[in-house]
Amino acid sequence: MVASIIPQFVPAFYSSMYSTALYGGLIVAFIGLMGIAMEKRDIQVLILTDIVGLAMLIVVAAVGTDLSEALILPGLVVELAEIMAISEILISREMRKKDVDTSFAPMPLNIDMEIMTTAPNFIALLLIGYGVFLSGFTGGAVAGGGIVIYVLSRKVRGLPIVVLDGVGAISGISWCLWIIGFLFFFILPQYWLLSLFLAALGLLLKVASKIGLIGIMMREEYGRK
Amino acid sequence: MLIESLGGDVMGTIPLGDIVLYLNPLHIFLFVTILVFTALIAMSRTETQVEAMFGSLDENKVAVGKKEFKHRRFLAIICGIATAGAMITGDLFNFTLFMALIGIVNIGIVSAVKQVEVLNSAYQYGLIAMMCGLPLFGGAAMILAATGTLSLFELAAIPASPMMIFGALVMLIGVCGESGIAPFFASKAEMFRTPGSPFILIIHLSSLFIIVRFVEILLTIL
Repeated sequence: MVASIIPQFVPAFYSSMYSTALYGGLIVAFIGLMGIAMEKRDIQVLILTDIVGLAMLIVVAAVGTDLSEALILPGLVVELAEIMAISEILISREMRKKDVDTSFAPMPLNIDMEIMTTAPNFIALLLIGYGVFLSGFTGGAVAGGGIVIYVLSRKVRGLPIVVLDGVGAISGISWCLWIIGFLFFFILPQYWLLSLFLAALGLLLKVASKIGLIGIMMREEYGRK
Repeated sequence: MLIESLGGDVMGTIPLGDIVLYLNPLHIFLFVTILVFTALIAMSRTETQVEAMFGSLDENKVAVGKKEFKHRRFLAIICGIATAGAMITGDLFNFTLFMALIGIVNIGIVSAVKQVEVLNSAYQYGLIAMMCGLPLFGGAAMILAATGTLSLFELAAIPASPMMIFGALVMLIGVCGESGIAPFFASKAEMFRTPGSPFILIIHLSSLFIIVRFVEILLTIL
């Protein structure tokens, strides 16, 4: 990193870590590529490709400024979207090879895990509680994961699931909360604490209900069989 | 190189904090052209491939089902809009994100075809695109590390340092892989061998436009 653009208050130790982190990322990517070159099974190649994607996150994170932090999230999302798209391709290819008549978006899930029958409610409650405590995007993701585990576990145990039709609406309204909070930052900076909480809780509700929606969509996918 | 000399006179800037958007005739021309193509694709119907059977006078028609047709049309429009965004953006990282989006959508367009060979090549292309995410985003991050900004307008004014040139070259590898041009072409060429012509063509068109725009970006920032 060029010395002239680093602010004076950054300790020299941190700014000297950039090249180390960069080389670290490149070495991780190289290991992943070696694995891809040696591996022959398709699913393993796909999993190893994700290592290269993680190396990309290391290289971006090595810069270590606010801007690079803002770049990690889209990078992660792109990486996830790509791995989901490719695994979808892989699933539909294998199903075509076996000549099975598939639905338009095949979803061959058979969740038969011990975790679904032992203490799913406690785990779900713990995740939701921890998500509310975290708030913001991360908290939303954690709480939404709790909702998904709850829905899945009830489905696996064969219990009826309460249908919440308004989940999409909650997501939309909380999205508005987030935007209002964001606007308040600019027009009324003296109420920054209010806008911070508006944004954090709005984002929590939004992400949690979005991931909850995935759970509901999965349930509908099961119900169709 | 100066920004003015490449794409014609700068018509104006839209300063949004760190992101300074700027407009010049080349970008507007590319933007409008790709939008026109997208509109044409949105209106058109898909072709039906007719293959002559060997040893008889029969013919084999490979048609696209209605559900698959709608799915492909939607993804083709998204691909066109993403390409248009990459044409007009004034921010290096937004360009990389549009590029990655085009890569994902290209895989999606062929994801529902019935031919196993096409799915196989789409899988290979997807792997290459994912691996090239490292040089693409990493190159942009290196340029950020070397200059402290991602705005093309400001990058044009900063003289090129060795780190910047290295970052730009790494990013070039990433763009080549994501759009599937020359060294990575073999996997992507097989993806076209399926019916549904106008939607398949956007895969090709988007990579052509992206390369034109990226060469312009490279000449601007170096």
